[in-house]
Amino acid sequence: MGRFKILALVALAGFLGISAASSQSRATSATVSPALAQAPAKARLRQNPFEGQPAAVLAGEKLFREHCAQCHGEDGRGTGRAADLHSPVVQNATPGELEWLLRNGNLASGMPSWSGLPPQRRWQIVAYLKALR
Amino acid sequence: MVPRFGSALVLLFCFGALNSGLAAAQETSYFVTYSQQLEEPGNLEIAVSPVLGFQRGGNSFLASSTEFEYGVKGWWTTEFYLDGQSTFHDSTIFTGIRWENRFRPLMRDHWINPVLYFEFEDINGADKTLLEVVNHDSAGDAAIPNAIARRDRQHEMEMKLILSSNFRGWNVSENFINEKNLAGDPWEFGYALGLSRPLRLAATPRPCNFCRENFLAGAEFYGGLGTTASLTLAGTSHYAAPILAWQLPSGMTLRLSPGWGLNTNSQRFLLRWGVSYEVSQLGRHLGKLF
Repeated sequence: MGRFKILALVALAGFLGISAASSQSRATSATVSPALAQAPAKARLRQNPFEGQPAAVLAGEKLFREHCAQCHGEDGRGTGRAADLHSPVVQNATPGELEWLLRNGNLASGMPSWSGLPPQRRWQIVAYLKALR
Repeated sequence: MVPRFGSALVLLFCFGALNSGLAAAQETSYFVTYSQQLEEPGNLEIAVSPVLGFQRGGNSFLASSTEFEYGVKGWWTTEFYLDGQSTFHDSTIFTGIRWENRFRPLMRDHWINPVLYFEFEDINGADKTLLEVVNHDSAGDAAIPNAIARRDRQHEMEMKLILSSNFRGWNVSENFINEKNLAGDPWEFGYALGLSRPLRLAATPRPCNFCRENFLAGAEFYGGLGTTASLTLAGTSHYAAPILAWQLPSGMTLRLSPGWGLNTNSQRFLLRWGVSYEVSQLGRHLGKLF
């Protein structure tokens, strides 16, 4: 049991340390612009298949609250940890660029890849983001 | 010490849960197979995954794995496991701990996305969670009484190459498993394959618990591939298991998977189920404390 005590303490200390240290990641508007610029031309030109569908905006809002609001804030204004989605950088991006960024994430700056969501749901989130303006 | 450690984890969980909001992860439904999906940075997932096993020529057992999965970075997830089992007409024992780390070496999404997996295990021979099957692991191993099997302490290093693809809502994942007992045994190999898809791809406008978009269905296949001395499918155990997962918008996921042994080396039947809960942005709240 002595060895288990040590292992457990080391694991808990390591976990708390890693948790606290990892909170330093920042995916702010300043990091979003270079990330969007990396979107290939083909992805940039893609149109949202849900364009002009109010139901898609509502579905996107629901998905945003489930997956995105924890970092970007309930109103999408950013939390200091993640970008303000009302900012010109995001609002001037094409739907294709936003879907590309959702799919790829910006792993180095803390935004996860959302490629595990079906493409339809990513486009619904994009529809909601464009409705924020 | 174990109860105190358990209390600390419960407090940690409560702290996170009280401070966190709604968080639904992009889960896959697998129990054994890993996909490219890592934990979202700052989030903690707590999961309990029991397996009820019906052995050939041995007592049935209930083994369980409790896991704490934390998203350190967008490209790095760390996970800590506590394992135990109860064999009917025998005893209930703690079987060990495991600590794993998964890394995404490529920062973009590709057709096939590799993830590198490293795990250290300090478990004993009575472990029956069957979260990976390697070497010539067979049903006969699990028939050894706990009092004897637990004396065999195993310090192992496990590595996996995880290849995973998302295509039109489907996830297809392949895992190649290498395991090495640090005491000097040969490298042991295994595999796991998984396939899953949500029952509905687009989301509905209104919040719902029972709509099809919250359910994932799939299957996984896993088994041993022998060792460096004999890389083979012969004499190894293999399983096939359909899976159903239900993701609640509250951040909880429930999973169920009946699995069948495909040859006489395998357990006859395994029933897995799991409950997991996502605590959002635990790292941010802990960061404020230090």
